[in-house]
Amino acid sequence: MLNLLYWELFKTFAKWRTYIGFIAVGVLIPVILWIMWIEGGDFIKYQLRSLQSEFLITGNLFNGWAIAQIIMNGLWVHVPALIALVAGDQLSGEATAGTFRLTLIRPVSRARFLNAKYLATLLYTFALVAVIGVMAVGLGLWIFGSGDLIAIDREGIVILSEADLPMHFLFAFALAMWSMFVVASLAFFISALVENAIGPIIITMTVIAVFYIITFLPVASVEGIKPWLFTTHMNVWQQALRDPYDWSAILESVVVLGAYDLAFWGATMALFLRKDILS
Amino acid sequence: MTPDIILRTTNLGKKYRDRWASQAIDLEVRRGDVFGLLGPNGAGKSTTIRMILSLIRPTAGRVELFGRDLHREREKALQKVAGIVEKPDFYLYLSAFRNMQIAGSLTLGRTPESRKVMDTLALVGLAERALDRVKTYSHGMKQRLGIAQALLTDPEFILLDEPTNGLDPQGMKEVRELVRTLSMERGITILLSSHLLNEVEQVATRMAIINRSRMVVQGEVKELLKASANRVLFKLSPPKKSLALLSAMRTVKEPALTEEGIIANVEPKHVPAAVAALVTAGVRVHGVESRHSLEEYFLDITSDNSEQ
Repeated sequence: MLNLLYWELFKTFAKWRTYIGFIAVGVLIPVILWIMWIEGGDFIKYQLRSLQSEFLITGNLFNGWAIAQIIMNGLWVHVPALIALVAGDQLSGEATAGTFRLTLIRPVSRARFLNAKYLATLLYTFALVAVIGVMAVGLGLWIFGSGDLIAIDREGIVILSEADLPMHFLFAFALAMWSMFVVASLAFFISALVENAIGPIIITMTVIAVFYIITFLPVASVEGIKPWLFTTHMNVWQQALRDPYDWSAILESVVVLGAYDLAFWGATMALFLRKDILS
Repeated sequence: MTPDIILRTTNLGKKYRDRWASQAIDLEVRRGDVFGLLGPNGAGKSTTIRMILSLIRPTAGRVELFGRDLHREREKALQKVAGIVEKPDFYLYLSAFRNMQIAGSLTLGRTPESRKVMDTLALVGLAERALDRVKTYSHGMKQRLGIAQALLTDPEFILLDEPTNGLDPQGMKEVRELVRTLSMERGITILLSSHLLNEVEQVATRMAIINRSRMVVQGEVKELLKASANRVLFKLSPPKKSLALLSAMRTVKEPALTEEGIIANVEPKHVPAAVAALVTAGVRVHGVESRHSLEEYFLDITSDNSEQ
């Protein structure tokens, strides 16, 4: 299995398209940081204007942690597309290139072959999210320094102390990774259905968009299904920037997202094991 | 199953909706065979090979490789098998060397040794281009790389689906020679499919013909050709008078006028007497040819089958 995984990773990282995500992140984050460097002070003041009228705020609130949180909020719209770009090519790319005829006539079970591909997809997702984390937090702290973080949400404000923030952000990125695994699993599943590389990206993004619309639709008739949509739980990472953590909410999101992973993986497996290789 | 049988298919078939792409295929390939799978385009050859290599799930029947059921013991059944289906496709963005490593690791469960990879590439004349990306290769080079990846894991049985497709005459000759070498010198059993009769006739020891999705005949090439051994083409003038004379001879059966001349069934020992009688009758004899080629046989078989 390790040998299979090694070669799947080798193939994945030998493709130009794999680096598009890293390049995009590598360009976007410094650009956001640069904009923040120029405009950021005003932006933070605008964000905190209502608080400043009520509280006396001291210290460096315009710090690397705050910037990392802003970047995370902004990038989670684009990251699924970057993940679908690679995950959606894993099976459809082989079908298009005709290389299933090279690999699937070999004495390796289709299940193991598929699992190696799935693991490679998840590892790519892990790498992309890790790079976002390292760049956002690392560059943010380097440029803007450290300090406490004021996290604001619908329930109120939380001030997280500087000393606790590394653990909070580590947890936030772990949860973000977990939610991005669903995107990877969905794109991977769709790549088993079609034989071109563009289809899975478009379909994945369409599914996410439709689910998001339902998630934010203020209509009573869809309230019942909202807890079961993975898009409802995609921002679970924000739960990591609370003190104390709402473990029941985190657990619920983790379980729902995990169930989607399992369902997409299972459906892909069922499809792939029965697939006739005609291309 | 005796150990000499490398491949046996029983009632093998694949149905797409209401159409059988391949039906009731009972192949038997023995150790050491160069087995030709013949048939017109669309007859079901590729579907049959894909089922044997587990790319397609059969609708009916079973496949046994080295005595093992392909469905139940897929990994063990395919351990000593290699193949090229239709045209060899590769990871074009990787080098030939990496492609070989990937293909080898899928059979061996570990990455094959670099020396072994290079030796195999050298065998097909690609050692110097081993580190070049495959997308820079010509069709002929890809075909050779396909054969190299098939040979890498020392298989005992290789399936080649239309191996000379798209090759120039020199490339076709090289593939035929390679098939002979693999069979004679390495003792590899080979099944090759083709719609090129001449190709199969030159290299195959046994063959089967598939027509309209069904297997029509199977056996030793020599034995099957014996059935049409008495076919003789007479190139005579004038043709109508010649046809009348041949029709009147007891030793000449079923003479028929064709564009090439008159084709008839005549035992070889009666041919000189027939020619002498024609010359005596004033017929000019331009040539007499034996027509027991595979092409004749194939056309006979497939046309008979088509008429059914």
